[in-house]
Amino acid sequence: MSTSLQRGITTLLAQIDAPVATFFSTCVHCGLCAESCLFYTETQDPKYTPIHKLEPMRRLWQQEYTFWGKLLKKVGLSKPVTDEELAEWEPLVYDSCTLCGRCSLACPVGNDITYMVRKMREGMVASGHAPEGLKGATQRAIEQGSPMGVNLKTLKAQIKHAEKETGLTVPLDVEGADYMMVLSSAEVADYPEIISAVTRIFKQADVSWTLASDGFEGTNSGIQIGSSDLAADILGRIVHAAERLKVKYVISPECGHAYTALRWEGPNLIGRPYPFQVIHIIELLDELRSSERLKTDSVDETRMTFHDPCQMVRRGGVIEQPRNLLKQVAPNFVEMPDAGVQNWCCGGGGGVSANHRAERLRIKVFSRKKSQLEAVDAKLLVTSCSNCRTMLLDGLELNRMDVEVIGLTELIADHLTDNAEGKAS
Amino acid sequence: MKEHETLEQRLHEQGVSRRSFLKFCAAMATMMALPPGSATAIAAVLAKVKRPSVIWLSFQECTGCTESLTRSHSPTLESLIFDMVSLDYHHTLQAASGHAAEQAREDAMKEFHGQYLLLVDGSIPLKDGGVYSTIAGRTNLDMLQEAAEGAAAIVAVGSCAAFGGLPNAQPNPTGAVAVSDIIKDKPIINISGCPPIPAVITGVLAHYLTFGALPALDDQGRPKAFYGETIHDRCYRRPFYDQGKFAKTFDDEGARNGWCLYELGCKGPTTHNACATTKWNGGAGFPIEAGHGCLGCSEPKFWDVGSFYTPLPAPAADVTAFAQAAALAGAAAAVVLSTADRAKQRRAQRTRQKLTVSDLKGE
Repeated sequence: MSTSLQRGITTLLAQIDAPVATFFSTCVHCGLCAESCLFYTETQDPKYTPIHKLEPMRRLWQQEYTFWGKLLKKVGLSKPVTDEELAEWEPLVYDSCTLCGRCSLACPVGNDITYMVRKMREGMVASGHAPEGLKGATQRAIEQGSPMGVNLKTLKAQIKHAEKETGLTVPLDVEGADYMMVLSSAEVADYPEIISAVTRIFKQADVSWTLASDGFEGTNSGIQIGSSDLAADILGRIVHAAERLKVKYVISPECGHAYTALRWEGPNLIGRPYPFQVIHIIELLDELRSSERLKTDSVDETRMTFHDPCQMVRRGGVIEQPRNLLKQVAPNFVEMPDAGVQNWCCGGGGGVSANHRAERLRIKVFSRKKSQLEAVDAKLLVTSCSNCRTMLLDGLELNRMDVEVIGLTELIADHLTDNAEGKAS
Repeated sequence: MKEHETLEQRLHEQGVSRRSFLKFCAAMATMMALPPGSATAIAAVLAKVKRPSVIWLSFQECTGCTESLTRSHSPTLESLIFDMVSLDYHHTLQAASGHAAEQAREDAMKEFHGQYLLLVDGSIPLKDGGVYSTIAGRTNLDMLQEAAEGAAAIVAVGSCAAFGGLPNAQPNPTGAVAVSDIIKDKPIINISGCPPIPAVITGVLAHYLTFGALPALDDQGRPKAFYGETIHDRCYRRPFYDQGKFAKTFDDEGARNGWCLYELGCKGPTTHNACATTKWNGGAGFPIEAGHGCLGCSEPKFWDVGSFYTPLPAPAADVTAFAQAAALAGAAAAVVLSTADRAKQRRAQRTRQKLTVSDLKGE
């Protein structure tokens, strides 16, 4: 069994549902989605018009599911989708789309273009037209448990380190805990401070929580490459672990697509409802803050701003929570232009960061983030997605900008009331 | 001949304020459905432009078109037309007469060869060597051909110049034809109507001066901005038509209630013009508001399509039953087709092979 054009076409035919048919038929070709797309605004190349990225799927829909399309195809006036065409579209569907959802928001007739790009990727991967980097990441996610090759051994080393740093116990595989924390591979590998941070916060707030040895990795490359089959496999581990530990909540980490996978796509992927609820770490922290279980006693005077991860604001609606938290510790917090629901993507979401071929384009379109940052002249950039964080660090360095980047959870943990007693030494 | 001064100087001399001028430009931009910013563009260009030479030839006509323009609610924005152009020849309006008048025309043609605008009202008789209408001993045909040769563009003002009009109506004893039947090698813009709306001709001239080109035209050579929609489409009585409320005579209850005049022969549905929106006499109204149907005067052959009081042909049979059957058949076809499509999608979902990690490696 291997990938082929026919397999891709069959997959696309299965993917074209009533919403897709409605969106294609109601598109008024106004081009507003172009102006909303980072890749168009920064390059001015019309091929990056979001709806254009779906052209092969649109034609397939027309030829297979509409009266006039069938007729045109029959008399040879509408050419069939070819393997070469899909190959040509691969960079448009993967390199120049971060599934950021800005186009869906801009569409005046309400077409969810992002939803369609996600579906288009199903056909692309089935026809063998997915980027090598993303294929490698997905393969590692399935075979080794993590796209970045992080395994239980790595996690245990980081847990040990955090326990030493905080003097607290990091719970692992505690059955019957209220919350099960999931991490992203970038957090385990590059930002392990998050483990100490949540340990200290949950200790102060008296939250009953645990990590799971068989379900700690939240990053879902299956969603990014666009394969529901593989995404379900990856997600299944978390669901299984949560069911095994009988937790009430699963906490999504500071990772955009992990949140989308867990919170929005999850039950559809596994085909049944969850026996638990999913909450983003920032949502939980804000809940703890409003119920006065999370207390801070110091502030950071640095002029700082917040980068909204696309999956949190646009796909998830988590907009006010990070700001409530920031208000508590950052008196010199400033908003970037277009902050909140209209914030611009870091450029590396939706699998673009794992796709080496896309790197040059990703760095080019960072110009938008650069100008957003320059407008506020902040010294510290806070965000709540580890992938955004890596992309931002990368872009800032290449542009020689003197701005620090930090995760929101860590920032909050740094100002906890019992900060001093929590630290071992 | 004196140097043509700019429009701004000319307006200033005549005591027209800049405010009135800008209002005029905004009105022009609005009427021609141009983007909002173009009012300032029009103002900037018009203020600086050298007033072009205009030669106005009147052939088989009734002077109604000139009257429409000059008698329009004064002082008006439309009257500015005469400030926008240097009217070098117009045998009704000019002071000179006889040889002096013809001399003025010849001088303008020579001096502004290839640049002047030629405005024509009235049709041109061709029968019997064109003897039915002559000026200074020359036939209209001869004069038109001579003047057209050096014109930048020709504006056919009124239905006679645009389509032949009344002189062309059956049995057409003089063999009258439209300008476009004779001149084939110049841009011609038809401003039809009997008479045409004054603002339309002003708008076209403003467009020509601002952009250096004629506006977009419809298949009858008329500017789309003014002739793009029918009287019926923009008629204030249209809701009554949609509700099936018609006046049956000119003095019945329906007529008093202002119902639709379709059955009294209104030609609104087939007539393209801007009367219903631009209106007449300083916005006072248009024929339908006075209780009379549209005559269709801006359409070709409007004299020859039957009585002004004969209703436009409507479907003779009751179409309701047919429409219902067609709707049912369409709905049935849609159900059949969409069921087939659904089956196709389900088949694809069934036959689709599950993607595995070996597929990723298999490349």
